[in-house]
Formats: sequence, C-alpha cells, structure tokens
Amino acid sequence: MALTTVAEHKTEYLEILSADGTFDASLAPDLSKEKLLEMYTVMTQIRVFDERAIKLQRQGRLGTYPQILGQEVTQCIPALCLEPKDWILPTYRGQGSYFARGMQMRYSLMYWGGDDRGVNYPKDNNDLMFSIPVGAHMTQAMGLAWGEKLKGTKNVAVCWIGDGASSKGDFHEAMTFAGVHKLGLIMFIENNGWAISLSREQQCASETLAQKGHGYGAHSIQVDGNDALAVHKAVSEAVARGRNGEGPTVIEAMTYRMSNHTTADDASRYRSNEEVEEWKKKDPLDRFRKHLLKTEVLDDDAVEKIQKEAEEYVAGEVKAYEAFDKPNPLNMFSNNSEKAPWHVIEQRAELEEILKEKQSRNEIPELPAAEGRFP
Amino acid sequence: MKNFLQGINEGLRQAMEADDKVILLGEDIGKNGGVFRVTDGLQKQFGDQRVFDTPLAELGIAGAAVGMALTGLRPVAEIQFSGFSPPILDQVICHFGRMRNRTGGRNTLPLVVRLPQGGLIHAPEHHSEAPEAYFCHTPGIKVVMPSTPEDAKGLMIAAIEDPDPVIYFEPKRLYRLIKGEIPEEKYSTPLGKCRIAREGTDCTVITWGAMVHTSLKAAAELEKEGVSIEIIDLRTLTPLDIDGVLASVKKTGRAVVAHEAPNTGSWAAEVSSLIHERAFDVLKAPVQRVGSWDIRQPLFKTEHFYIPDAHRVVRGVNKTLSRDKAAA
Repeated sequence: MALTTVAEHKTEYLEILSADGTFDASLAPDLSKEKLLEMYTVMTQIRVFDERAIKLQRQGRLGTYPQILGQEVTQCIPALCLEPKDWILPTYRGQGSYFARGMQMRYSLMYWGGDDRGVNYPKDNNDLMFSIPVGAHMTQAMGLAWGEKLKGTKNVAVCWIGDGASSKGDFHEAMTFAGVHKLGLIMFIENNGWAISLSREQQCASETLAQKGHGYGAHSIQVDGNDALAVHKAVSEAVARGRNGEGPTVIEAMTYRMSNHTTADDASRYRSNEEVEEWKKKDPLDRFRKHLLKTEVLDDDAVEKIQKEAEEYVAGEVKAYEAFDKPNPLNMFSNNSEKAPWHVIEQRAELEEILKEKQSRNEIPELPAAEGRFP
Repeated sequence: MKNFLQGINEGLRQAMEADDKVILLGEDIGKNGGVFRVTDGLQKQFGDQRVFDTPLAELGIAGAAVGMALTGLRPVAEIQFSGFSPPILDQVICHFGRMRNRTGGRNTLPLVVRLPQGGLIHAPEHHSEAPEAYFCHTPGIKVVMPSTPEDAKGLMIAAIEDPDPVIYFEPKRLYRLIKGEIPEEKYSTPLGKCRIAREGTDCTVITWGAMVHTSLKAAAELEKEGVSIEIIDLRTLTPLDIDGVLASVKKTGRAVVAHEAPNTGSWAAEVSSLIHERAFDVLKAPVQRVGSWDIRQPLFKTEHFYIPDAHRVVRGVNKTLSRDKAAA
C-alpha cells in the first residue's frame, strides 16, 4: 500500500501582447497583414456598434441591451479562426461573434429592439442562435461536435460561455461527453469577472476556470482575453486539435465586462470604480492598435480611415434597422412548426380578426403583409 | 401606500425577523438586492449568512433549498426569472412534492421558491413567461400568485410558514405598477383561499396575477355595455379554492378563465374542467378560456398581441353571453 500521485495537471497562461503594444515574437501566431487588418477592422466595428447601440437604447429605440465594451477580442477573434461550416454558439452578449462571420448589424438591432425577425445570419454559415437561459447551449455545442464527427467532417463547434455559466451542470455534462468521445468542441470561457453582481471569486473556488477542463481529459489553457494574438493562437490550436480528432479544449479568456450587465443593471451597486479603471488600461482595441502601429501594419491615417469607415458602416446599419417595416403581429404564428395544428390556425384567425377590429377603431395603423411560413 | 414589490420585501423581512431559520438564497439577491430589488436591504439587515448570493446554477439553488429544508431551515430561493425555471423542475417534480410521502411523513420540505412571472415589461426573450401550469401539475406542492401589495405580503408570510413546498409566483409587471395599503404588522393571507376582486352578476372571470388587473379593465369596458362581471382572484392556484370559484359561478351562471399562459394544458384548462364537472347544471354557456396563443412567445414588439389584453377578456365574456342569447 502506498500513497502516490496518480495525476498532475498544469494550467498555462498565454499572453503575447503587453499593454503598451510590445509583443513576444516567439509566441506570436503567423498572421498575414490582411488577417491582422481584418481583426482590427472587425474589433473597431464592434466597438462603434456597441457605442451606437447604447445611445439607441437610451433614446428608446432599442430594448434592454447587453453591452460588449471590453470584450471585442473574445467575441470576434475566435470567430475569425473558423470556417463558415464550423459551428458558433455565442452568448447573448456575443453579437460581435456574428458580425465577424458576416451577419449584418441591423439584425442584431432588430432582435434587441424586440423584433423576432432579428439575428439573421448568412445562410451558408453554421451560426446558431444564442441561448438567453445561461449555458443551455453547452450540451448543444457538444452535440454539434459529435454530429460532425459522426458525419465524418472536420468541422468543430465553438461554444462561448461566461464565468457564470461555468457553474452550471450543463458545463460538466457537455465536457464529460466531449472528452469521452474526443469531440471537436472548444469551450471558450469569456471570464469577464462578473456574472451580473457576482464576482469571479464568489462564483467558484477553483484557482482558474481553465483547469476545470483537466477533469474531463480536455486540453485546457488560460489566455489574456484582451490580447488578440494570444486568443487567436489559443483558438487556432484548439481548432486544429478538434479537426484532428484530438478532443475538446477549454480556453479561459481573461477579460472584463467594462459596462453594466445590461442597460437594466447598475454595476456601481456592487463593484468598485477603481477595478473598472484598472481594466481600462488593458483595453483590447487600444492594445492591438498600438501593436499594429509599432509593427507598421497600420499608420495613423489607416487607423483613422478604419474608424471612419466603421462609423459609416454602423450608421448605415442603424438606418437599415429603422427602415424596416414594423412587424405584423401575425408574424408570431409563422415558422413554429412544419404544419400548424388546428388550434393554432384558429388562434391566428382570431388574432387577424382582432387586428381588423383594432384597425377599424384606429387603434393600430395599417400593417405590412405577414412574413414567414404559415400554416 | 406601498407598491407590490414592497409588499413582498416586507413579507420576507418580517418572516426573517420572526424566525431566524428563514434564509434567502439566489442569484444577485444579496449585495445587488435582486435584479428587481425585491430583496433590497435584506442582506444589509440580516447579514450574508442569511441572505446568500449563489453561483449561477438554478438547479443547484433548488437542490440546496431541499437539503437546507431537511436540516430544519426555511429556505426561500429566488430563481431570477421564471423563464429560467426549467432546470429546477428536476428537483420540483422528482423531489419537492414527493419527499414527505417517500419518507413516510418523516421529512418535510418547508421551502419557498420565488419566481418572477409574466410579460409586458419590454424585457428580452425568456424574461416574460407564465409557466405556472408546469408547477400546478406537480402533486405535493402549493402554487400561489398574488395580485395586490397586501396579498403579496400576506401570501409570502403564509408560504414561508407553510410546512410543505410553496412556489410563489411574482407577476413582475405589478412590482411598481400596483400600489395599495399594506398593514404594518406581520400577518398571513391563508393559502387556498380566493378573493372576490370585483362583484358582478352576469359572468365570473376567474383569473390570477397581473391578469386580475387586465380583467378589471375589461370589467370597466363591459360595464359601459351594461354587462356586470364578477372577478375572482385565485391567489392560490393549487390547492384551488373550489368552493369560492363555484359559489361565484353559481351566482352568475357563466365563467371565463383569463390568464397569461398558452391555453393548451394550462391551469385555465383545469379550472374550466372543474367548473364543467361540478357546476354544469348552472352553466348558461360553456366556460371560455382567454390565454396566450399556443406558439413561442414573441419578442416585446408584438408581445401585447400575444398576452391577452382587456379587449380579449371582453371577447371571452361576450362569447359566454352570445351563447346564452343564441340558446334563448
């Protein structure tokens, strides 16, 4: 009989870009100038979108909105490491992941504006609608990776979750299956420090969230989530492992939710301003810009041009969002099932009658034609 | 005058003052006072060993409440939105309602789960559901849903003091909308007793939660047309106050059940069925259900065409009246 060590695990932390924009060339991924520019452009567009969305919300032109600020890298860089046929399952905050894969911002605005026609991703993409109930998409992502494996493709699934979602049983179940079946699942934890008012320390006693992955036989790593190069490298390696049948990866990306949880939240009730100020110094966009300027991928004129173009692009998307016809309430009956059952057909007819009554009393305006498939 | 939310808060506070076994747990309920501020000030008053901010895991919260209740505590758990309640059904269905029976009456679960319920607050997806029927269908638990500040407090205290599990739904659009007098002292509103929210003679509208107020609006509209409706606020969905419901239906001879959930398999279906079974002889027309449509709840831009408004309650009442005229 003996007391011996039967397993030991180490969890590494990867940072390539420092806050002043200098970088460790030995660690940096080999990215073309075009790729670096794409990364910076998308990050800039997300930043501008987010600023604009908050204004729209304050003006009552958008509903409750979860702000992205500070998480541009963790949202768009993983998406930019993928092929369209890889699956993405972002969080509800992850509009930037969809944008990186070509979804027009107008659809994001529609969704957060309370219109079911929103979040309309490009039709050839394997993007999936996010789950508002936290973490319910983790086992789905595992199933997607499993399905792709059974079909014999090399497609992987990237599942974004927050630090909060890593506490849910779904995490355990998804990772257990993924480990056993060596699935191409990348569990990308955007650890932004806060799950609404609960700090990372209160969320879990584990030193890192990355190390949870070891328990499932997953490759596990913690990265600087505000470092575009580190995130790109970690995700690309995880994708390669996934495609090669080497199993799942857990990536914990250390970032920070710079704003409130949503526009309905007031973070000053539960966290200090000093903490927020500290993280401001690590801004992902500033850091990447400094790096691109230093390495002469960009110059000041190019930075200005990208900013100006992003502003014009976002302004155009806002305009397009506001130009959509108001939704016909009958839309809610569309696309609910292959063939609507009798009671739903009756109920739609009843709503149609109610709408006509309301129109005859001038309570509602003329409506555009109903959209979507019915019955 | 206090609002509905203050009624719940006061109920929690007084129950905690009266019994130090009462503890609260849930996401963001402590330091932040809950996302709606229902538990505001309670962690400050009672400390972080009686008001717990939990990790983000609804099923964990529900299971923790079971364990704590078995040790003799009286946990009150909050699930932030009832739209996030499906994970807890594992505990609710398989354990909440069965523990007493499975242990031969030895172990009971004096616990409460608070669930903000209902729509029309311009909230994002999954923040507006009315899932009460999933819970009512489960034997062994009680389900309550107040509609006034006074009942919000009294039913909360009654729920906490009840020896069995109680699901306490909070119609969230009433939180700040509905104001009323709340007695200062600690009191409990009996579980299993309905309330006549408005007296009338031509038709009984049986309803609960925020739909009580929608039905009151419908009553005002109908009054202009010379129709007088009686409104029964169930307050407790299960066990249902069958005597209270039948007494009113016997008086008016007609009934409409108005609620926010889709009709199929709903609690309104159960109420309607009970009326037909037990008061068929007095009915002048079949009971009508006024509920949401049997489809996924739409986002907020068209939500008010999904959840019944006063106009739809009026239509429901008119259906019972026209049946009568046709028969005559």
